[in-house]
Amino acid sequence: MSTMTDTDTDLDVPALHFAAGIPGFPEARQFALVWWGDEDGPFSILTSLEQTGLEFLVVPPHTFFPDYAPEVDDDTAERLGLASADDAILMVIVTVGDQPGDATANLLAPIVVNRHTREAAQVVLTEGDLPLRAPLFA
Amino acid sequence: MLVLTRRPNQSIVIGGGIVVTVLEVRGDQVRLGIKAPRDVDVHRDEVWAELQQANRAAALPDRSAVEGLERLRRQRPDA
Repeated sequence: MSTMTDTDTDLDVPALHFAAGIPGFPEARQFALVWWGDEDGPFSILTSLEQTGLEFLVVPPHTFFPDYAPEVDDDTAERLGLASADDAILMVIVTVGDQPGDATANLLAPIVVNRHTREAAQVVLTEGDLPLRAPLFA
Repeated sequence: MLVLTRRPNQSIVIGGGIVVTVLEVRGDQVRLGIKAPRDVDVHRDEVWAELQQANRAAALPDRSAVEGLERLRRQRPDA
C-alpha cells in the first residue's frame, strides 16, 4: 500500500473529504478515519486534519441497528458521485453519554462516503422519521 | 430582509450559484426546489439547528467513556 503524504498529520491513512463540512463544524472538511479499540471492534474515530482535537466516534450502523437501511436521495448520490449502493460506506456518529449505556447514535443523519473517491457528507434523511438519538444498547 | 414575490415555476438566484424555485403552493404549504453547488449544504432550518447541536454534543468523545462502550458491547455479543 502506498503512503499518503500529508504535511498536517503523520497519520498513515487516507483522508475523507467533506465538501460541505459537518454541521456545527463548517471549517472542518478533511478527516482521517482511524480504527479504535479492539481489532475486531466496530468503533472508529473520525479525526479532523484541520481542527486539532476535533473527533467523532463512528460505527457502522449494522452492528447495532441491523434493520437500518437508509435510502440516499438522488441529489446526494449525485453530489457524492455514487452510481450504486455498493459505492457507499455508511457510518453513524455516536454520542457517548455519562454512562456507557446512555450512548446514542444519530440515525437521522448518517455519514455517507464514496469508497472510491473518499468524498463524504453527513446526509439528513428526509424519509422514514429516523431518530437523531437512538440508544445503542436498548 | 429582502422580500420577493414569486409564482409557481418562478425562481430566485442567490450568489449566482444557488437557484431556489417555487414548485407548488398548496394551502399553507410551499414546495421549493433548490439547486446548489455541492459544497453548499441545504437543510430545513429546524433540522439544521438540531443537527448542529447533536454534532457538538458528539464531538470530542472522552476516551475512557469510549472504552466503557467497547466493554459493554463485548458483554452483549448479540449487539
